[in-house]
Amino acid sequence: MSGAIEVILKEIRVQDLPLQRDHRVSPSTPLSEVYEILDKNRHGAAMVCEGDKVVGIFTDRDILYRTALEGLDSQTPVSSVMSPRPVTVRFDHKLADAIKVMVDGGYRHAPVVDADGHEVGLLSTRVILKFIADHYPETVLNLPPRLDQRLMQPEGG
Amino acid sequence: MLCPNCGYDNIAGIDLCEICGSDLAGLDLPESHFGFRGRLLTGHISDISISPPVTAAPDASVTEAIESMRSNKHGSVIVLQDGKLLGIFTERDVLTRVIVPGLDPGSTKVSEVMTPNPITLDTSDPPAYAIHLSVAQGLRHLTIMEGTELKGLISVRDLLRHIHEDVLGV
Repeated sequence: MSGAIEVILKEIRVQDLPLQRDHRVSPSTPLSEVYEILDKNRHGAAMVCEGDKVVGIFTDRDILYRTALEGLDSQTPVSSVMSPRPVTVRFDHKLADAIKVMVDGGYRHAPVVDADGHEVGLLSTRVILKFIADHYPETVLNLPPRLDQRLMQPEGG
Repeated sequence: MLCPNCGYDNIAGIDLCEICGSDLAGLDLPESHFGFRGRLLTGHISDISISPPVTAAPDASVTEAIESMRSNKHGSVIVLQDGKLLGIFTERDVLTRVIVPGLDPGSTKVSEVMTPNPITLDTSDPPAYAIHLSVAQGLRHLTIMEGTELKGLISVRDLLRHIHEDVLGV
């Protein structure tokens, strides 16, 4: 898709982004298992689902605030430490609206649901930033590996 | 010049697609360097809201570092010794370097589990650098310097907020 990002963000829909789908756990999943999933998938969030319904979310932030120092049993079900009823975004909503929901609420992740409220994936801030960076590859991604590398004089000068 | 409608490869500079008649005028012009794209390179990190850093001494325990993050509502602490930047310890490190390996947060020093010598940006750098580091290197907390002085942190959340306000004009 070409054009200014200002326009694209207002046109593209949440479902057009590569939503993360490898992070579902059930409410009874023990904390130790959720830790393993979060450690491996690098997204920093797991969606807690009952069937196709999102009942909670458990993120790195929840670990920091609720479990890191509490000495909880490793078999504690995630449902007792998750953030229940997370704010979700609809898969057919414009990305610009989803960004507004996430920015206003201060969320780094938002579960994505369809019109019937069924879970279809997880939208993360990183995926959105990557989408924007991919739109400007020559501006954002083609930077030197070390950003403090600068030419002392113009090339050939 | 590819027609965005039917995909036919027209000759460059044509105004209407030869196959479907779609309007192609101006599609091959270079994109404007004004607007958000221009500001990505000509703006400065200082345009983004930079949070003051939460700091810890290298011999502080992980428990103290976590309590400090909790009370300041921050996802990271900067480890400083005599004002010198030694490292950064983030909420991600709490999981991957303390909980999963089974370390005791009360007896582990933050300097043992921090990321030493983190990549830093300067307030005069363009915002594109911050997006680059967060996407290409997967960093969620960027350490911002002003010259040799520690200025604060920018999180991916702050970046998204900046883009929201800048691009969408809210």
